[in-house]
Parts: sequence; structure tokens; C-alpha cells
Amino acid sequence: MARSTPLLTAEELARTGAVGAAVAACHEALALEDREPRVHALLAHLMLEGDFYDQAIAEATKAIEIDPDCSAAYLALGLAYDRRGGMWDQSVLVWHELAEVAPDLVTAHVQLGEAFSAAAFDDEALESWRRALEIDPKEARATYNLAIASLKREGMALALPLFRHAGELDSSQDELFFHLLGVKDPGSGPIEVAQVEPSRDARLAAAGRALEAEDYFVAADLVRLVLDEDPDDAEALALAAFAYLKQESANESMACALRALSLDPELATALYCLGVVYARRTGLNRHAARVFIALAKRAGTHALVHVLLAESLLGLQRFAAASKAYRLAVRIDPACVRARFGLAASYLTEGRYAEAQWEIRRAAHYDTKRQGLFWRLYDEYAGAGE
Amino acid sequence: MSAEAAASLYRTFVDRDPAAAIQVVERARVAGIVQDQLFDALYAPAMGLLGRAWASGEIDEVAFTQASVVAEQIGSFVMPPAAKRDTGVTVVIGTIHRDGHSIGRAIIGATLKEAGYRVNDLGPDVRPADFLERVEETGARIVVVFAEMMRSARSVAGVRELLESSGHHDVVVLVSGGPFAADRALAREVGANGIIPGAEWALKLLARVTRDRAAAEGGV
Repeated sequence: MARSTPLLTAEELARTGAVGAAVAACHEALALEDREPRVHALLAHLMLEGDFYDQAIAEATKAIEIDPDCSAAYLALGLAYDRRGGMWDQSVLVWHELAEVAPDLVTAHVQLGEAFSAAAFDDEALESWRRALEIDPKEARATYNLAIASLKREGMALALPLFRHAGELDSSQDELFFHLLGVKDPGSGPIEVAQVEPSRDARLAAAGRALEAEDYFVAADLVRLVLDEDPDDAEALALAAFAYLKQESANESMACALRALSLDPELATALYCLGVVYARRTGLNRHAARVFIALAKRAGTHALVHVLLAESLLGLQRFAAASKAYRLAVRIDPACVRARFGLAASYLTEGRYAEAQWEIRRAAHYDTKRQGLFWRLYDEYAGAGE
Repeated sequence: MSAEAAASLYRTFVDRDPAAAIQVVERARVAGIVQDQLFDALYAPAMGLLGRAWASGEIDEVAFTQASVVAEQIGSFVMPPAAKRDTGVTVVIGTIHRDGHSIGRAIIGATLKEAGYRVNDLGPDVRPADFLERVEETGARIVVVFAEMMRSARSVAGVRELLESSGHHDVVVLVSGGPFAADRALAREVGANGIIPGAEWALKLLARVTRDRAAAEGGV
């Protein structure tokens, strides 16, 4: 069935964040046809945006009653139960249903695991997160949850590598490097080395763009051209360090970063690479913390710098200091999922279980929002109905 | 000495000679560089030299990779020790009878182990008699009892009573869990010597207990 004009208006308004006007348009649409699942699902999403959990639950439930295949309504319902709290049994049922309706939707399995975990069904939770990783081995939130589960059973020393692994799956880590590098325009299309202007700055800028496009061979060629003219170019060495880091060549990365820092001890991109290499090695947490403290002085406005520092502090058993660094990261970027999970971990070390659970719920909220998951499911569902 | 040793180590990397690299490390150790300092004093400068050699074209990509493999092979010889040294202090931990909560115990137990304590974890649902038995078996003089419910928290008093009646007046009993964090007087009521609100506190409190005990014994 085609969507009514008020529903189309409501969708448009909702996508631009005009929640109040979108709700009014939804009610207009319901006046024309009150058994339209798309309107109820959209209304549930809008109620959730405004933190009206009971209304969101009511609208999503109506949508599902009208059409049990309305996947977007399951998402809104599950998120509403989770965020309202204290309704873990219903939450488990909803995420289970969504996993049935959309079996390849990795988030449904992650959320199901979190609902199981909140209800203290730990084995079922682990099973759900493993299922999520079977669907998408790079699912960062499932890995963060496994890290939290490991912390609860085995302590920080075994959980920390999992936190770091999850962090590396999270695209935000690379974003920090490119932020430090100052790449503003990643450009489009492949870069031809021969067509890059033969100047140091143009080559380094092009190498940065090539790294962002994960074209490590082109980046390496451009960096080599710069180093052939000046082997003491610290910025070129830092780019090389990052390229090696991304290719799992940690020692080459360390060598380039250390050389770069011997030429320019405050170079943020080199500090980043060296810190990440150190953080991967057991026994070098103190070194990593030292490097990330230096990086925080250079780029303290970026949340992830504090997250990286916090992880090193966890490795040093300085849980209170780690908690402080995580809280700073969350203050800078409330949507930083890695910081939310890290903060949850540090709360667990302090016996603050309810606060830890709350941080995990906030991470889920921001993660689903960042992915634009509701709109993906809604558009698929709404399109299929026409 | 350090700069020369770092240059020698760098040379062994480029020569792809891990045995010679280990000898350089051993010589540095004999010359007085302690394990904690080997990475900073020797390995990191050698890696910096490797980076310089690659950047200047002195060594090519293949040689850089091969040298890095040698650097990897000797990495464990120069890394600072991951775990702290054994403190020799035994700590018995467990969650009190009729309480199945384990998260706090697992995290604090693992933290103490990593810090070098000899942790005897009795698990959840532990009767006072089992705490006593393990104290007598191991000679431990520190017991950490976990409880997350009011009723189970009150029953921690049984641990202290049993230790006292068996003549273990010198055993330090520490408690951990929500009821004790919420009501500090409860810890005193059950005969505990202190409260552990979290993992970092556990380290601080145990360090203090160990220090005080060593001072008292030294004084005697």
C-alpha cells in the first residue's frame, strides 16, 4: 500500500530531527488510517527520541500487532524496553523476535546478548554475541561485550586485550589518526603517484589520502619519494609508521615512529602510532600511558586520546585514574561507544554494577543511532510494502 | 655504554643474527642495566636507529623487514616484566555461604594475583568453616569475604567468630560488597578489619596491611 502524504511528510520531518512536527504529521496520518503499521513504528521511534519510553512501547506494540513482520517496530520496542530498564524478560523476547524476523541483522543478536546479560543469563548472552560475530567478525560492540564478560569472570588482565581488539575494530581509532594528520578532504578515486605534484607537501597530503583509502602501496611510494629527498622528515616517517601499523608490522611501525619522535618529540601522528604499538605489547602499558599522556597534551580535545590513555591505565591497575580519563572522553563525545564500555569496565572494578549497566545501555543507544539502524529497517520495510 | 650497546643491537638486527642480539642484551645486563630499563635503554634506541637506516635508504625494504623479525625474536628478553614479583603474601578469598555473587570476587581476585599476591579463591557460597580450613592449610593471615546481600553480609560475622574461637586472632578479615559499601558500620558489626570497595582499594589496603604487619613483626 502506498504511503499517505502525511506519512511521507512525517518521515521527512523525522529524518531532519524535527521530532515535534513529525509527531503531529504522524497523528494526521493516523486520522486517515489508524491501522498503518509504518506510522505506529515511526511514532514509536519518535517517542524513543524524546525519551517517552511507555508511549514508544505502546506504539511499537500496535505496529507489531497489525503486522508481526514490522522489523523497525521490533527495534524501537526492544530499545524502549532496554532504556526504560527493569523489563529484561520482555526485552529478551523482543530481540529474539527481531533476530527471527531479520536473522542477518547483527545488532539484534548483540542486543539480545545484552538483554540476556542484564537478566543474568550469562551463557545465553555469550552465545548471542558469538552468533553476532559469526555474522560479522568485525562487530565491535559484540567484542566489547565479550570483553566485559571476560572482566567479570577473569579480571582485567585477560579482558584488556579484548577491549583493545574491539577498539581496533571500531573505525573511530583510525579517525583519530586522520584527525591528527589534518586530512580534510579524502578526495575521490584512486591516487596516481605520477600525477601528484612533485613537492613534499603535495606528496605527504596525497599519502595521507591514500592511507585513508587503505591504499598502502601508493602511500608507501609517496612517502619514499619524500624520504629520498629528506630522510629526516618526521611527518613522512609518521605516515610510514601508520602504514606499517595498519599492515600488522608492529616493529617496522615502532622503528619509524621512534625515529620520527627523535626528530620531533611532539609530533602527534608519531605519538599515536608509537602508543598503539606499545599498547599491543604485554608489559608496555607504562610506556603506552606515557606516550598517550604526551598525546593528550597535543590533542586533548579528541575523546579517543583519553580512551587510549584510560586503557593503558587499566593495564597498570590504576582504575580510578582510568575512570577519570574515560569520564573526560564521554564528556567530550557522549556518543563514544568505546569510552562508554571502558567506563562500564572501570565501574565494575569499583563494584558500581548498576552504573556499569547504565553505561552499556547508553553505548547501545548511541551505537544503534550512529548506524542509522531504525531508518535502514524502516526503509526496507516501508519499501517492501509498496 | 647505552648508546654503544644500542648501536651494537641495531647491527645485530641488520645482520639478522638473533644469537648475537641476545649476547648484546646479556652484556648490557651484566653491565648493570636492570630488566625494567632494558627496553628504554637498549631496545628503543636500537629500533630508532633501524628507522633511521630505512628512511635514509641505508637498508632496503627487505632488510628492514628481516631486521624487524630479529627484533621481534628478542623482544621477550628486553620487555619489562608483565606481572609483578611474588609478594609471598597469601590471601584467602570467597563469597560467603548462601551468596552466589562472583563478579567482585573475580575482578578483585585477579587484580591481587596480577599484583603478586598468592590468591586462594574458594569461590561462591563458602561456609565459615571452609575459610578456617583454608587459613589453617595455607597459613594465610588475610581473608577477604565477599557478600552482596544484607542477609549474607550479616553472616560474615561467623567467619570472624570461628577464626577467634580457633585461636587465629591475628588474621585480618576484610569485607567487600554492596551492603558494606552502603553501611560501613556493618563491617565493624561483623568483626571485619576493613572494607574493600573496589579493586584498586584492595591493592592499597593489602599493601598497607602487609606493610604494617611487616613493621610489627620487625619491631618484635
